[in-house]
Amino acid sequence: MNRSRRKNWNTVNAASLARWIVLTAFLALTGLSYVYLTLQLYHLGDRKKALENELASLRTQNDVANVQIAALTSRSALQRRLKEGYLKMMPIAEHNIVRLTIPVRSTEDTIQPVANQRAGR
Amino acid sequence: MKWNSRTRCTLVCLGFILLFSGFSFRLVYLQMLKHDEYAGLAAEKHVYKQPIYAERGAIFDANNEVLAHNVPCQTVVADATHLNNLDAIVDLVGVELKIPKSELAEKLRGDRRYIVLKRAVPEALADSLREKLQVQNLHGVYFEHDSARIYPNGSMLCHVIGFTDFEHHGIQGVEASMDQYLHGEDGYRYIEHNRAGQEIVLYRGQERASRNGYQVHLTVDLNLQNIVENEIDAAMREYSPKKATIILMRPQTGEILAMANRPHFDLNLRADAKPEQMKNRAIIDMMEPGSTFKIVSAAAALNEHKVQPDSTIFCENGLWNFGGTALHDHKPFADLSVKDILVKSSNIGAAKLALGVGEQKFYEYIRRFGFGERTGIELPGEIPGLIRPPQAWSKISITRIPMGHEIGVTPLQMTLAMAAIANGGKLMTPRIVKSVTDADGKTVSTLSPTMLRQVISPQTARQIGDALRGVVSDRGTAAAAAVPGFIIAGKTGTAQKVDPKGGYDKDKYVVSFSGYLPADRPEFVGLVVLDDAQTSKPELNYGGLVAGPIFSRIAEKAARYLDLEPHEEIRKALPVARVALTNASRR
Repeated sequence: MNRSRRKNWNTVNAASLARWIVLTAFLALTGLSYVYLTLQLYHLGDRKKALENELASLRTQNDVANVQIAALTSRSALQRRLKEGYLKMMPIAEHNIVRLTIPVRSTEDTIQPVANQRAGR
Repeated sequence: MKWNSRTRCTLVCLGFILLFSGFSFRLVYLQMLKHDEYAGLAAEKHVYKQPIYAERGAIFDANNEVLAHNVPCQTVVADATHLNNLDAIVDLVGVELKIPKSELAEKLRGDRRYIVLKRAVPEALADSLREKLQVQNLHGVYFEHDSARIYPNGSMLCHVIGFTDFEHHGIQGVEASMDQYLHGEDGYRYIEHNRAGQEIVLYRGQERASRNGYQVHLTVDLNLQNIVENEIDAAMREYSPKKATIILMRPQTGEILAMANRPHFDLNLRADAKPEQMKNRAIIDMMEPGSTFKIVSAAAALNEHKVQPDSTIFCENGLWNFGGTALHDHKPFADLSVKDILVKSSNIGAAKLALGVGEQKFYEYIRRFGFGERTGIELPGEIPGLIRPPQAWSKISITRIPMGHEIGVTPLQMTLAMAAIANGGKLMTPRIVKSVTDADGKTVSTLSPTMLRQVISPQTARQIGDALRGVVSDRGTAAAAAVPGFIIAGKTGTAQKVDPKGGYDKDKYVVSFSGYLPADRPEFVGLVVLDDAQTSKPELNYGGLVAGPIFSRIAEKAARYLDLEPHEEIRKALPVARVALTNASRR
């Protein structure tokens, strides 16, 4: 009996089994990694989109602020404030102006970016 | 055939081969032959070409002050097929966007699916409305990115800057003429979205970045423009003219430093403006220039060496019958030098100078000064004026044209002619655009000064300039145009207005003054034109008395701003009684 039983047993090739286990584990890990990385990519994409939206929002706020600054510092606005008395301007008296150099006069044909270089900004 | 196991096996294998070959052929058919068609159909379902909007470029003055720029905003639209609670939406949107509810309901109940509810809605308001719609679970109202064009200075320089339509295409002024630079190019990005309509960033496809519009820098200096605007407003209050134009220009380069017209309008409220207010009269209005045009006849005669500055012309004691028609001077003059013909503004003297030159030659000089052709300034809608060829002249035209009648010129053309005198006879192309840069300030294009032609010799220009200095003296017609500390050269003009019924209207005048400062080395040329100014007495309605003082005030302030040093001893401007207001203008 014992003898016949021993005869029906299959021998297990431990090396081969180990190889298959390692291969399967590797494949499983690869699969899991793929899924994990793909999910990470989706997640990063969402983060990228959120950051883009935030950046666009900040840009918009910046543009709105720029427009407000331009409106408040525009010539018309400043003149209005001057008329309303919020601003006051004092003319500079001639004796308070110190002329360090005599303005350089260009020759007749020279093209200048401004009429007077000192007045140009 | 013997059906043994081998045969059966072969048949089964063949069956499988045929089956999988069929699958393979089908796959090849679908994936290769029909790929584009099915890929397109699939893409239609979930791929979307998302536009990346380019921003319109800003406009700056010569000192980089903002004249026009954009503010982000939203356009609120509705999809009629997605509206889930019409009454609630009308109530909420009507209140938030300040649209009458009846009007809004009518819009939403119409046949159209895509309905624009309101444009240029501020971002903050759009955010607030979006939240309220979400809270109340109302669907069908959407927000589209947009931007609104803002002009921080309102009505200042309105005719030059111009404006855009709601699709951001320039339709007037620099906005229109420089539209190809300002507009920019929209970009795009192919995106895929999920069932909820959210973008799957992972599957972003082809992308092309947008290119924002270039920035346009004008030659106009807002400080000088402000001076001009204040003075033109003061003139409107004082004289109540129907129209007024003032131009300041740098003669050496043709750069326009300031340009103002009345009536005008607020660029931010352009929907309320009338067509009459929107006209840039400096380039689209034609006027008879009057005596300022005498510089052309004097320049032609001197340049052709028909006369010398000191040559004397008999001015017929104020009345000359020519071609069966009488020609008058405003005062009787006997012998006048060529110089004094300009100083005293003698019509008869100017007519005799032109006669000496001859019709054809005089016509050539008129054209050489740039009259009868567009100046080429970067502004849309410019007219060439009206100069008839000598073949179409009447017998007396040669005596009327030299005094600025029977011709039509634009204020800009008149300014250019004076600038040619100031610039040693060189006629420059006027420029309003200085440069074009990208958003980082890198220069894309610079517009350099262009000399159109040498109209007259520098010597002739100097001789005319000397005569024009006399105009702004106690001997001349424009003593009131003097500026303390500076020598000014200029010429007055007083032209009767053409009566639509024929002939000239006796009581209506176009008064003007064109001059430059300092006379020996001009930094700017200016022109002041008032159409039908109201004065207390008709005899006070002269260019020298009305337009001259306005030029004087502008020139004085401009000289201070440009830090020009006085070239002669400080002297007071000649005291000239200011023209009293009429009752009409007091209103």
